[in-house]
Amino acid sequence: MEMLLMGAVLAMFGLAVSCLAFGAATREEPVRELEAVKAAAVNARFFADIPPLPVAVHNRVPIEALLLQIENHVRLEHAAAECFLESPDPSRLHSRTISALVN
Amino acid sequence: MTDADLLKGLPAAEVEQVLALGQRMLLTSGAELFHLGDTADSIYLVSRGRIRLTLPMQVRNRQEDVLVEEQSSGQSVGWSALTPPYRFTLTASAEIETEVIALRRDALNSYFAAHPDTGYAVSLNLAGIIGQRLQLFQAMWLREIQRMVESRCA
Repeated sequence: MEMLLMGAVLAMFGLAVSCLAFGAATREEPVRELEAVKAAAVNARFFADIPPLPVAVHNRVPIEALLLQIENHVRLEHAAAECFLESPDPSRLHSRTISALVN
Repeated sequence: MTDADLLKGLPAAEVEQVLALGQRMLLTSGAELFHLGDTADSIYLVSRGRIRLTLPMQVRNRQEDVLVEEQSSGQSVGWSALTPPYRFTLTASAEIETEVIALRRDALNSYFAAHPDTGYAVSLNLAGIIGQRLQLFQAMWLREIQRMVESRCA
């Protein structure tokens, strides 16, 4: 009886270890992707003109959505520039934007 | 069209005479008015609707026309027709059904030669339109530079 219980406990322990290993393996991809994004942003300070994002991240936004983001960004920047011209002031010139393209 | 930016400050009778030189054009939604690089013979006053001004940009290895500016009723598009080298530097298309009045450069020049006061007033208005565009894009450009500096020095 004791042997049987010991076997059952060992089997449960093995199952728990397998679950943990599986969980770690499936979490690995987003972590790698995030690290790649961070590395791209850090490298951009020293070398590249535009931070090169990994292809998987880059293609996640459909091109139509990206074009809409650009259009929205232009409209917001236009409005911010008009606001500055109405009352020229450094704080208005560099007011923050809510544009998804740069946030 | 007495509120047209190009004809601001002119007496109503004078506005009518200038507009009589033009030709009304109706554009369906999405129709192109002029294309980047085309010879610019006419300036257009938007009397109804909205015009999209775009420039080509590479987006994911595809050339896309990206919005630069929008002009609506009372505003002018295509002032390249009045400044050398008389080539359009943007593409213009109707965002919705739009009506414009096309004023040909040669017709305007002849009229202004005979009516120098009107020519002077329109030239001042044109300078104001171009100056405002310059200041606007100067501010937009500086905001982009500021963001670039912040992202590189963060």
